[in-house]
Amino acid sequence: MEANNKSRLTYTSYMLTFFLCGALLFLFGFFPASYSASEEDSSVPNVRPTSLHGLKIHPPPRSYQAFILFLIDALREDFVNASTMPVAHARACEKLTVHVDIPTVTMPRLKSITTGTLSNFIDIALNVGHTEQLHDSLLHRLKQHKANVSFAGDRTWVELFPSEFNRHSANNDSFFVNDFYKGDRNVTKVLGLELEKRDWTLLILHYLGLDHIGHVEGNKSPRVKDKLKEMDDALKNILDHKNITNYLLMLTGDHGMAEGGGHGGNTPYETLVPLYLFSSDCSKSTGGPKRYNQIDLAPTLAVLLSIEIPKMSIGCLIPEMLQSLSLEHQMYAYFYNAHHLLNRARVKFGHEKVKHSDYYHWYQNATLLHKKLLHSIRDRESTSNVHYQVAKLNYMRMAREISMLLSESLVKFDYGFIAIGLALTLSSSLHIVLSILFLDVTDQLQMDRLKARQLLLSLVIGVISNVVSHHLDLIITSSIMQSVLLVLPIGISIYLSIDVVQALLTIMLPPLYSRRLKLCIPLPLPLLICFAIRTFTLGSSSFIEREYKTWYYLGNTLLVLTSFKTLRRRITKTNVELDGRHLHKIASVCLWQQRKVFVVLILLTLMRYLYRLNVIKSTLMLFSLFLLWARLRKFNNLLQIVLNAVAFLLVFGFRVLNGDVDFYGLKSHIMARFIVPTLVLFWCCMAANILLGYRLALPQKNRDGVLNIKPQNVLLQLLQTNLSCSLVVASLLHKAQNVVLLPTMLITLDQTYKLCDVYCTSARKFTVRQVHVYKIIMTIFIARMFYFYQGNSNSLSTIDLTPGYIGQTNYNPIVVGIFVTLNTYCAEIHSFLYLIVHTLRTDLRSVGIIQLQPPYAVAADTLVMPMYAAMIMLPAAFYLCLMLGFRYHLFIYSVFSPKVLYDCYTVLVFYFVFVITSLYFKLFKRET
Amino acid sequence: MATRFDQQKTKHQLFHVSLSLATTLICMAYMQYRRNWAHLGSFGDSLIVPIVFTGELLKVVLARFYGRIEDGVLTTKQRQKKAAYFTPRELLGGLTLQFLCTLLYAFICIILGAPVLANYEQTFVLSLLLTLLTVSPTVFLLGGGGALQVCFCEKPEFVTKCEDTALDLFKYNALGGILGAWAGSAVAPLDWGRDWQLYPIPNVIGALLGSALGNIYACTHVLYATARVYISKKSA
Repeated sequence: MEANNKSRLTYTSYMLTFFLCGALLFLFGFFPASYSASEEDSSVPNVRPTSLHGLKIHPPPRSYQAFILFLIDALREDFVNASTMPVAHARACEKLTVHVDIPTVTMPRLKSITTGTLSNFIDIALNVGHTEQLHDSLLHRLKQHKANVSFAGDRTWVELFPSEFNRHSANNDSFFVNDFYKGDRNVTKVLGLELEKRDWTLLILHYLGLDHIGHVEGNKSPRVKDKLKEMDDALKNILDHKNITNYLLMLTGDHGMAEGGGHGGNTPYETLVPLYLFSSDCSKSTGGPKRYNQIDLAPTLAVLLSIEIPKMSIGCLIPEMLQSLSLEHQMYAYFYNAHHLLNRARVKFGHEKVKHSDYYHWYQNATLLHKKLLHSIRDRESTSNVHYQVAKLNYMRMAREISMLLSESLVKFDYGFIAIGLALTLSSSLHIVLSILFLDVTDQLQMDRLKARQLLLSLVIGVISNVVSHHLDLIITSSIMQSVLLVLPIGISIYLSIDVVQALLTIMLPPLYSRRLKLCIPLPLPLLICFAIRTFTLGSSSFIEREYKTWYYLGNTLLVLTSFKTLRRRITKTNVELDGRHLHKIASVCLWQQRKVFVVLILLTLMRYLYRLNVIKSTLMLFSLFLLWARLRKFNNLLQIVLNAVAFLLVFGFRVLNGDVDFYGLKSHIMARFIVPTLVLFWCCMAANILLGYRLALPQKNRDGVLNIKPQNVLLQLLQTNLSCSLVVASLLHKAQNVVLLPTMLITLDQTYKLCDVYCTSARKFTVRQVHVYKIIMTIFIARMFYFYQGNSNSLSTIDLTPGYIGQTNYNPIVVGIFVTLNTYCAEIHSFLYLIVHTLRTDLRSVGIIQLQPPYAVAADTLVMPMYAAMIMLPAAFYLCLMLGFRYHLFIYSVFSPKVLYDCYTVLVFYFVFVITSLYFKLFKRET
Repeated sequence: MATRFDQQKTKHQLFHVSLSLATTLICMAYMQYRRNWAHLGSFGDSLIVPIVFTGELLKVVLARFYGRIEDGVLTTKQRQKKAAYFTPRELLGGLTLQFLCTLLYAFICIILGAPVLANYEQTFVLSLLLTLLTVSPTVFLLGGGGALQVCFCEKPEFVTKCEDTALDLFKYNALGGILGAWAGSAVAPLDWGRDWQLYPIPNVIGALLGSALGNIYACTHVLYATARVYISKKSA
């Protein structure tokens, strides 16, 4: 049994690393970041057509003197109505609805507006932080035509177009969500100056305030109304300005706002935004609501601005915007866009295929009619309205068809990367699962040790297969360096696969002396079933959308089942001694013994209705901070307890000052002054707390001057300090009503562990491993339940960005990232840490097990951490396989893709926690 | 097998199983007749609970009927117990037990996601149905104290052979019912937008189907045993 007790942290961390590399490769293959780059040098002509079937035609001149794009971030369709924005509503010439594509985040949307093409899903990741610059857009074309473009507002524009603006004044940072008014006031100020100057052709204004209000306070916040009023006033300013005569003003949003205030998902609230058109002389149309795509804006604007349509554009024209053009010019616009799209289709699908398609036929038809129409116009004959309508119809339906086909064809997968990534993730997760389940095989095949010969062999195979697949164009990379580096993942996955296949063969084909290999850890059926259900329900989009239901159901089922089984065993046991008398008394006594579990179950039910407790959140927060403090007492010494109490008071103080909870109606301008000192004090408390915790861990001198090292306790002491400190920080980051989740989670975990102890020790065949397995799986389930109680979901719109900015005055991506992650994954991080601390602390003496061989705490790094990792990795690997199968699913980008990002990020977060914890184990664990 | 083929027992088992299946079939027929299933969760409007109640009662009567045959060979303990069935104490105990059980099931339903403040009538009906499928038959057969002992003792001595047969079959019924009701929730998160996806309906139907499946499983066991006896007799 010696081998069973050696630490497997290094091995597990390798497997986790491989898994993450594989997941990264998979994501690269699934969301190719630069599909547009390969089509850049395609043969779409760069100039406007000047002849139609031999007839000379001319592009229309610029139809307005001034163009203003009035962009309000997160302007949802139902936000603009007669009561919220009276001026806009009353004076708009056209009220259109624009459908926005996913991802509903700012940067991809700006790309769509300016280039007329769809953006990639992975742009979300790029949305935070780094921005790739565009090569061709409306603004590039305007610059070529020497037209002036001015800009004020969101910084993202300047990052996308660093040199295309003549003047720009951007906000300092677009992600600092606590700024509701200052940035917008600046934009309005710049607007005033620009209106005075009036030397620009296009003015772009991008207001961020509404989006920030949504992120922080939600879409029902009273400030939304004020903000819309402010926007309406700015709009009125432009419309009434004396310098503005012949203009076109477009009021629109880059994306909508979900119920709750976020965005990024695929609900109608997020994907539908208004497009209101204002111009000096307009006939108000009374047509019904018309819906266009956001990519249609770019070609339409190009025509109106009298510039070339951007090369990548795949949008159609918006007829309502072309009303001011003459008949001939309108026809030119339709012809030009159709011509452009046809060229794009030729490049994409090939000449032959285009020639035999319906839309080519429509195009021919339309151009002939167009020619006839031009003849009649030039000969000053009466023009036939029928010809015009038919030609327009044909142009438009052809454009729509090609636009649809092209946007569908943008989905392109890089199967080479997907295959490598999948191989790596699958082999590493199977490897770790097998090595945990079958220790004998692991020893036999030395699966957790490096075998040089096998490694060499697999590297050689890796090199060969890499070269072959490059020759066959299965893998396409942009540089030779990347190609060489790819040998590594291929080699590793081959190495792992060899191990896995060997192990599987050993397990499946028992050796001749008919000794079947047995599982070395018990896998109780209910746990297995729940875990399997949890894994297989990932295959259904509705189960992913409502994943929280799965977790609540399964988690509570496991708790109820375990507690009732325990109850029954207890009663039966007592009953055997008493020989069947006083059964109801025994039953009630045993029930009373388990009262705490039932309290926990009721608490878990209550947590589902947490969002309704908004009314009493100040009381609730005070109470829960007290509870958390009481819970943390057992991990700390006296001084730390006092410091923690101060820290918690400061957290409450911060929330009061911030206005989140009510406390004797203090005045807000006084309170705002104290926020920063409170936070500074809080972090001082934290630092002192950590110092105290770590000082105890250092080797100290006794009174006698002898170095006194307490080897066993050091590790536990440090981990406890870490746990309690990060819990305190989490209480600062959590929303006021969510703080109650922290103590509840600790109580739940505590009671669950007790239940598992009692349940497993009352079994006929007691094994320590069973206790561990129960605790690990229960912890995973409870962590996931609390993760969803917190308000998280599988949609990107529920990520709460507010905690990232607590105490921040500007946008620092690292700090914001850490804070948001710590807040979002609070439950998962802390329950894992708690499980480790619990495993190290516990002795089973309390439940009547005195002698244990091997000791309970040893399992922390031999079983608990590796198995937890395996349990995290296995469903994620399965989900990646599912993604490959579902790549043409209707909901792949709206439901499955965000989930895969969440899943990979969960593994990443776990990886960091795991690595840090294992470092502590490596550094401070002394063998006794 | 050393055990002798017991014709009476097999007959009892088969009758019992067909009674359960008939109950489920009647329920299904009733649901088909009503077409709209929205009422399944209401107490006053749905006939499911009375039908299941009658079915379970009939099963107990069946067990009593077969029990009469072995009246002569009872031990004193069994005789005492049998005489005590209809005392007020036992009746009261049985009622209390069932009531507590209904409460417990309602509690579990709420923990597993039933609405806390709304739909309490539906929750009540569901837990009543589950009680009827699981605890009630045993209570009807053995009284409250007896049911408790059956649940928590290895094998009480007062249970007669015939009662044992019935209890064995009740076990399948109960397990099937609980698992069915549990699994019924699986359709709740799906976005099909059907009206039968509303809270108690899939669970009620799941409980009925589950108990039917449990009975079918039991039935195959009985038939398999019978067939084996038959074949071995023939070959001998």
